[in-house]
Amino acid sequence: MFVARSIAADHKDLIHDVSYDFHGRRMATCSSDQSVKVWDKSENGEWHCTASWKTHSGSVWRVTWAHPEFGQVLASCSFDRTAAVWEEIVGESNDKQRGLSHWIKRTTLVDSRTSVTDVKFAPKHMGLMLTTCSADGVVRIYEAPDVMNLSQWSLQHEISCKLSCSCISWNPSSSRAHPPMFAVGSDDSNVNYGGKVQIYEYNENTRKYAKAETLMSVADAVHDIAFAPNLGRSFHVLAIATKDVRIFKLVPMRKESTSTGPTKLEVQIVAQFDNHNSQVWRVSWNITSTLLASSGDDGCVRLWKANYMDNWKCTGILKGDGSPLTGSSGQPTAMSTVVGSSVQTSQNTQNGMSAGRYFLPPLDPPRAGTRYGHLLPPSSLIEHCDAEPIQPQQQALPHRISSRPLLPLPEAEGQ
Amino acid sequence: MSGSKPDILWSPHHPDRYVICDSELGLYRIGPVGNSETKAGTLPLSEETAATLLAINSDTPYMKCVAWYPKHEPECLLAVGQANGRVVLTSLGQSHNSTCKELVGKEFVPKHARQCNTLAWNPVDSNLLAAGLDKHRADFSVLIWDISSKYSPEASVSSEKIRLSSVDLDSSSVVTKPLYELGQNDACLSLCWLLRDPKLLLAGMHRNLAIFDLRNTSQKTFVNTKAIQGVTVDPHFHDRVASFYEGQVAIWDLRKFEKPVLTLSEQPKPLIKVAWCPTRNGLLATLTRDSNIIRLYDMQHTPTPIGDETEPTIIERSVQPYESQIGSFAWHPSSQNRMVVVSAANRVMTDFTVFERISLAWSSTTSLMWACGRHLYDCVEDGAEGVDSVIEKDIATKMRQRAQSRYGHDTVQVWKNHLLAGGSDPQLKSLWYDLFYMKQCAEDIELKLQGNKQSVVYSGIKNIVKTTSGTTESRRCWSGSERQSDVPRYHSEERCLSLRLCGWISRGPDIDVEVFLRSLEQEREWERASAVALFNLDIRRAIQILNKGATAEKGDLNLNVVAMALSGYTDEKSSLWREMCSSLRLQLKNPYLCVMFAFLTSEPGAYDGVLYESSVAVRDRVAFACMFLSDAQLPRYIDKLTNEMKEAGNLEGILLTGLTKDGVDLMESYVDLTGDVQTASFSMLKGSPGEVLKDPRVQCWIENYRNLLDAWRFWHKRAEFDIHRGKLDPSSKPLAQVFVSCNFCGKSISYSCSVMPHQGRGFSQYGVSGSPTKSKVTSCPGCRKPLPRCALCLMNMGTPVSNCPGTGKSDERLDLTRENKLAQFNNWFTWCHNCRHGGHAGHMLSWFKEHTECPVSGCTCKCMQLDTTGNLVPSDSS
Repeated sequence: MFVARSIAADHKDLIHDVSYDFHGRRMATCSSDQSVKVWDKSENGEWHCTASWKTHSGSVWRVTWAHPEFGQVLASCSFDRTAAVWEEIVGESNDKQRGLSHWIKRTTLVDSRTSVTDVKFAPKHMGLMLTTCSADGVVRIYEAPDVMNLSQWSLQHEISCKLSCSCISWNPSSSRAHPPMFAVGSDDSNVNYGGKVQIYEYNENTRKYAKAETLMSVADAVHDIAFAPNLGRSFHVLAIATKDVRIFKLVPMRKESTSTGPTKLEVQIVAQFDNHNSQVWRVSWNITSTLLASSGDDGCVRLWKANYMDNWKCTGILKGDGSPLTGSSGQPTAMSTVVGSSVQTSQNTQNGMSAGRYFLPPLDPPRAGTRYGHLLPPSSLIEHCDAEPIQPQQQALPHRISSRPLLPLPEAEGQ
Repeated sequence: MSGSKPDILWSPHHPDRYVICDSELGLYRIGPVGNSETKAGTLPLSEETAATLLAINSDTPYMKCVAWYPKHEPECLLAVGQANGRVVLTSLGQSHNSTCKELVGKEFVPKHARQCNTLAWNPVDSNLLAAGLDKHRADFSVLIWDISSKYSPEASVSSEKIRLSSVDLDSSSVVTKPLYELGQNDACLSLCWLLRDPKLLLAGMHRNLAIFDLRNTSQKTFVNTKAIQGVTVDPHFHDRVASFYEGQVAIWDLRKFEKPVLTLSEQPKPLIKVAWCPTRNGLLATLTRDSNIIRLYDMQHTPTPIGDETEPTIIERSVQPYESQIGSFAWHPSSQNRMVVVSAANRVMTDFTVFERISLAWSSTTSLMWACGRHLYDCVEDGAEGVDSVIEKDIATKMRQRAQSRYGHDTVQVWKNHLLAGGSDPQLKSLWYDLFYMKQCAEDIELKLQGNKQSVVYSGIKNIVKTTSGTTESRRCWSGSERQSDVPRYHSEERCLSLRLCGWISRGPDIDVEVFLRSLEQEREWERASAVALFNLDIRRAIQILNKGATAEKGDLNLNVVAMALSGYTDEKSSLWREMCSSLRLQLKNPYLCVMFAFLTSEPGAYDGVLYESSVAVRDRVAFACMFLSDAQLPRYIDKLTNEMKEAGNLEGILLTGLTKDGVDLMESYVDLTGDVQTASFSMLKGSPGEVLKDPRVQCWIENYRNLLDAWRFWHKRAEFDIHRGKLDPSSKPLAQVFVSCNFCGKSISYSCSVMPHQGRGFSQYGVSGSPTKSKVTSCPGCRKPLPRCALCLMNMGTPVSNCPGTGKSDERLDLTRENKLAQFNNWFTWCHNCRHGGHAGHMLSWFKEHTECPVSGCTCKCMQLDTTGNLVPSDSS
């Protein structure tokens, strides 16, 4: 059961990215209004904007946090062809008391000739490294050799992907068995250019990144890509937002110690959902990579979850404007949707009107029966799962239900 | 606008009204569903909204185009362009006030009749109405009418000409003299007034786009292009204009009008409508013929006129309001990103909002934040218990809860950990019982054999039975039956140990399951208890248990029936009992009842019905195998079962694999499936052999679990985990990170400070107490020079850091309450890494509660703020 609550963001234009810090107590947003805002969560769970400043001379596409081990550091990238690194410093006045923080620019990375579309810090164990990708198809990896001096960044690698890049994601695995790896997605819409997701891996011997895999089956424009937190698993999971939501499993083949080439990856597609009807814009994993959230042109946020047998299904749908949603039970027994008052007043009509075409698909009945009983080994589960509808059938579920019993609008609507 | 092709217009001033025009004009009011539901004739537009038809106007036939008067008064005044080129002012269902009355019915007639293609009201000087007409020889095709003008002198003449009109017109309402005549010898297909200067009119002429200036009508700016249809100005950026030709949209910048600044990807079908979103920057909606999607172009960047070679980023999107083909659409003038869509046929209307691209992120504590447009939405997993108990919680939430309930930390009563985990997961229950029995046996054997067999216990039954030797075979009587049984049972030391690990028997050489049976009875696991009794060849006890189960509260009376069937047991091979039992047993729901009959009806040594009944707990099957399988069969069965468990990642298999490499393999499958690194880390830390801890996979799980605890700010839990880990894996103990050494002699002040200071040292610092240890406490134990002073109390620091409670003398230990422990921490050394000033921890903390700067005068260091993580409060309690 998820409950949505609106926050007055006060950005003057579209918000392009939301990013949490390591602990989930701070958040950064960036917008077409060229600014970045930093939000802190108070003890009572409210978000307060503690900093807002102009960061670029164009839309800011993405913002991301460094691991707190490196201090309070943000990176942003923009249409203005630059990426920037920001650090929070202790203010001159008693900013802290007034609930404000001060951020200063440590560096501007100006190597790109085109819009910088994504920026990500590499996993902590690799040191303080920053990666950008840009519309001209180049991935750049920078390193801060001295973590105490964030104004010094050296361009370590420049990898040409040949296709306009839209998104990048590092494999977060810290296992020594897995060499550093990242995936880059392209939003080039020409399906004839082949796979739009490329995976690169660091080669210890050549000290260079080499392409390990191209996902040829992803031929349409890719808008977002996300490696799942590895959490000690023996394989990697990659979620891709393209014309549908796709989940790939990358299983590293056991490598012979003698081979020097990149790790062979066995690529399996685990799930593919076109429930968003059209383009999917973003995908995000939770910390254990057991829940995936996606957003698409149907104006909905969908939550996906796998069961024991790695069958992924939709467990929740939330409308983009925070209006009612179901829990995964599909039974709105405790529908306690709270739509913030700020939205109520300013966007009343919009909220009231928005449900035109977004329906809640019939979710599977609660799997009460499949909760294995006492000391039943899971092989009995296998039978249960097989008995359930398999995925293709799920996708064919009607998107429309004309009756409304699933969606009792709360009284707050339309007030 | 032929009858089949509808169009929609929103009222410029009434946010709830719009007009649909096809063969007639229909005025609709939109409202929430609830309010209008009772009224007849409402059309649902969406889940929440419905439209009511307010008025119909069919006075104006041959409609080609319609434009809504832009000013507030008179409301609902429409200009209709007709196929013969005349423009008629009309109104819809309004009580006519004087101004309106004058205007309604007025006609503007061109010299030569030809189709009127487009109409445009001047947004500022609203008397001006521009009409674009088809070509007629050398005549003008753009006429600008002044609606306030009185009839022209030639009015009577023209009224003659227009007799074809069905409406009988008052000649005073016919105007034939336009205010301006533009575009000679040309056709005009589309028109719009430029918002940057209301004297400028942009016209899509035949093969060119032209800008006419009303102040100087003889001149025009023009550019040759095919894209001349549907010219429209971006309401947010007045120099930007869109027009189209066939399937291609061209975007123009009026500041550099020579060529389109960009053209959008071509559509296979011709476009019919292109419209800028009035509520949002740079969002253009386009519709092609015979299509059920509206394509949106999100232009994030204002093109600049100066030679900027970067292409603006355009994000192409498409929305599908409904399945059928779309006739037309219209943006709502004020509601954000909202539009009404009408179908090509049957006038089916839909009201919907185009959502912005939503970006989203999960936090480490499983709350989801997303941004839609300019708004943020925070979505948290509702912790409501009970209602949602049906839904399995996500493992991230589970691990957090388990960490808080100290899951994994019970090292004595190991089995209790499964209760700490919630007690609802059978696999975890099995795992922790396995580990408990292993620990019990290990301790027991350790006592007997001085530890050399300890590793055997943790190596799992698979390895234990491998080395089995000295197996004896025995045939025992069925108790409760007179017959001599021919069921062979096997005994050996290893098998006995295995049974203990399975939890069937406790210590001792005899196989006595009575204790186990009683505990099962207590747990009300009647079927299982009965099966265990039966496997021990005690049929009478089995029946007794079943009877007990039937009579117990909420007992299943069917158990009596089973008991009855059981009592008829006969070992005669061809008996009816046997035949019926082996066929009917498969219909028994309970797996234990099922295997009971399988056991009774199978030949000795061929117990597949029992061994491969996957619903029976692994421990019971393994115990059974240890009793009834021969030395040849047993390892084969165990190996097979082990591999099955490993593949499935079933934690029950830990019984077989123990904490060995096999166990790590099994745990790897489990982690792959569940992500439960918490269980993996703790269970691997339970065994005493350090071998598995060296496995990189185990190290990886442990690191990942510590990282999770850090992310959740469960720092106390992380520290406890580290302590716990350090006990079993001394190599993981972190090195000391800080040494406090004397400024004078350079020796560590904790070094050689073996004497626990007196209890009263709290006072001794202030020199109040005449404690003899005073000199020792506030000075370096090495050179007797005084220690640095606290910046606040200016006293010499007094407490060596190495002193921790509990290491003192036993009589003092009793006095150490929790407060004392905290007070001790207050005495600790603490200093800022930046300015190197410091003092007693307690003093420093209270200082920084109210101040940001360092307490040392002249030092402006903001010591506490330098460490942002330090401001985070741990979210767990110690």
